Amino acid sequence: MPAEQQAPPVPTQRANLWRSFMIFLAVVGPGIITANVDNDAGGITTYSLAGAQYGNKLLWTLIPITIALVVVQEMSARMGVVTGKGLADLIRENYGVKVTFWIMMALLVADVGNTVAEFSGAAASLQIFGVPPWLSVPLVALAVWLLVLKGTYRSVEKVFLVACLFYVAYPVSAFLAGPDWPVVLKATVTPTFEFDGSYVAMLVGVIGTTIAPWMQFYLQSAVVEKGIKPEHYAHSRFDVIVGCIITDVVAFFIIVACAATLFKAGVKVETADQAAMALAPLAGVHASWLFAFGLFNASFFAATILPLATAYYVCEAFGWESGIDKKWEQAPQFYWLYTGIVMVGAGIVLIPNLPLLQIMLISQIANGMLLPFILVFMLLLINKEKLMGAYRNGPIFNAIAWMTTGIMIVLTAWLVVIGVRDLLA
Amino acid sequence: MAETAARGETAADPRFRFLSSIIGRPVRGPGGARLGMLTDLVVATGEPYPLVESLVLKGPAGRQSYPWTSVENFDDGGLTLKADAVGSTPPEQPLADRIPLVEEILDKQIVDVHDAKLVRVNDLHFLELKGQLRVAHVDVGFRGLVRRMGWEPLVDRTVRLVRPKAPYLKADQLVSWKLVQPLDQSAGKVRLEVAQRLLATLHPADLAEIMEDLDRDQRTVLLERLDVETAADALEEIEPEMTAQLLEGVAPERAADILEEMAPDEAADVLSELPGDTRVEVLAAMEKPEAREVEALLAYPHDRAGGLMTPDRIQLAPESTVGDAKAELRRRDEEIPFLYEFFVVDGGGRLLGICTLRDLVLNEPATRLGAIMHEPPATIQVDDRLEDVANAAAKYNLLSVPVVSPEGVLLGIVTVDDILAEVLDAR
Repeated sequence: MPAEQQAPPVPTQRANLWRSFMIFLAVVGPGIITANVDNDAGGITTYSLAGAQYGNKLLWTLIPITIALVVVQEMSARMGVVTGKGLADLIRENYGVKVTFWIMMALLVADVGNTVAEFSGAAASLQIFGVPPWLSVPLVALAVWLLVLKGTYRSVEKVFLVACLFYVAYPVSAFLAGPDWPVVLKATVTPTFEFDGSYVAMLVGVIGTTIAPWMQFYLQSAVVEKGIKPEHYAHSRFDVIVGCIITDVVAFFIIVACAATLFKAGVKVETADQAAMALAPLAGVHASWLFAFGLFNASFFAATILPLATAYYVCEAFGWESGIDKKWEQAPQFYWLYTGIVMVGAGIVLIPNLPLLQIMLISQIANGMLLPFILVFMLLLINKEKLMGAYRNGPIFNAIAWMTTGIMIVLTAWLVVIGVRDLLA
Repeated sequence: MAETAARGETAADPRFRFLSSIIGRPVRGPGGARLGMLTDLVVATGEPYPLVESLVLKGPAGRQSYPWTSVENFDDGGLTLKADAVGSTPPEQPLADRIPLVEEILDKQIVDVHDAKLVRVNDLHFLELKGQLRVAHVDVGFRGLVRRMGWEPLVDRTVRLVRPKAPYLKADQLVSWKLVQPLDQSAGKVRLEVAQRLLATLHPADLAEIMEDLDRDQRTVLLERLDVETAADALEEIEPEMTAQLLEGVAPERAADILEEMAPDEAADVLSELPGDTRVEVLAAMEKPEAREVEALLAYPHDRAGGLMTPDRIQLAPESTVGDAKAELRRRDEEIPFLYEFFVVDGGGRLLGICTLRDLVLNEPATRLGAIMHEPPATIQVDDRLEDVANAAAKYNLLSVPVVSPEGVLLGIVTVDDILAEVLDAR
């Protein structure tokens, strides 16, 4: 109606500001959503274990990890905006079937691992409420499967996002625990390194959970789906950077809270109940409930997104029909992949007496080991003039991204060597 | 088209050959000296089954292009060139009406216009005739993927062992080149007559679905390949946001032409999604009457009756006869796609009653509409909500719900397809 149409006249400058803000709101999202899915069950567990086992010793890695995360995610978003295509699509079109096959295999392995981690997270958190895994895992798997296939997912996405406010519990708990802040801050800027296998494994896990291979695919597709144009890219980049910083600020406080409580008390964390004690300064006896709630939300949120997203990328790469708006007969590969990932993920967690927390950590280490393969192809793609034109990487971005790739390859090789040595010993 | 070529025939017949069986093979000079590796084949379009015109190889001196006529012979072991073969540097951008197959078709998405869907090219299938190669099919099947991996013999043997009757062994999913519309970069701009003609015959809803599956640049390419009417029909089926994004990418004149062809209510929805300056530009480029109609609708919020309604309807005086109504229907058939109800209005445009198509069929041509018309239903006004409109349609069994001004003047109608779409969206 006319009344609603006639906006009050605004001074030009304010109008411009308003317009910028509206454009920001319109493109905001992919980066921040990705960041919140990034702090999934694997993330919470890995950071918790890192803090509990090594105290503040791994804090310094967060600054370089944040820089690498921003660089990598920014590259994904930029490729999405400039080419209008997903990462799987670009890899297939530029490197053919063989390369695509192996990349997709790597991604599938990493994502099945992550899905296992999500179901472990759901099982571990519901165990705190006294629900045994043999009951909780099939129920959660069924709920996830139905939620996505019935298309009701979109309507609950916001609920998940709001529930992510749970992460605020960690900074509060960290402050209440009263760590020695000068020591914490010093540890954050002072690199230290240990050469033993479990430290390197934890390091690869922390990097792998923060810069997970699925994130680049997810973010790029989300950006493409939003149809963001190169003109509006600056806003999108801002969204990505904010998201990355949120991820790592949360990681920082989880590690600090765990270091100030679990590490200080010398607890060797083996169950979710013990990991929950990091929230005791805030929630006291209710700490395990709060932790269980947060872990469950993170697990469930990611468990709905990861298998679905993975099925999409694989189908995109091989040219199979995909989408939950298609019927099962129209897109059989898509539905079988999706169902298979959920079933395998949940099935593995059903193995009796599984050390759930360890499983989550191992899946994140696998993430870290598979990351360099995907980074190499991203870097090759983003430097193609035909594809990216003036939006190619600058020398600084290339240096940081190649360095990240190189470091991950060295650390992975190290882990493999140590693993082989231990096997032979 | 998932045309099933009998597999045995294809394999035994030496006149067919897959791109994957020659690409990457060595290219030798007449003396057997290795010149490089075959990286691409370039075809000239214009024929239904285009001819391979030149080849591109990658040697120590970089990429070299040779005309296909300088090929002495070729087989699975590679190609041998004639003594007088002269290479040249291939152009940066493909020439007009030339398609480098590996660069522009292989691994890319194309529209299979026969099955109306988007597929990815796993391999290309050539017909070999008197030393010349013609593109016959594109392979979009699973077997093509297996072949590209180099696993065909192994997988074939395994499948034969496990399940000798598996459909995998008998059928390749080959789509005739004639039925293919490329979408990427320069290949998408090439005119392929048959495919293009067929594209226009696809059901708008199928075309819309393909469009939604495409990425941004491909959508623009496909839109450019459609005539204005087909484009308008397909775009009516797509979310207005996406249509707006698409139209932002084309010249304002073409956007205006497409919007004129769309139903005014759909066009208004699209225009309201465009950024302000583009909207002004496009509206200015539209024909005056259409622009005015759409502008009037733009004043109403999207989710109210005013935003949902279209001004397109047939209204007649009570003195008009059934015959007049039928004549009017015939006259305006083209312009109004949705026509099941006729509105009877007085001299001031006030709604008096409704006649349905059924009334026209059942009554004599001389009968006056005033005598057979039904009471107008509960009046819907421009600021009524979607639920009110849907309720009126359900309650009075209407396919088009009239919208009136406070004085009772008929302004437009909301058709049931739009109501359904909105209700489904709102769920």
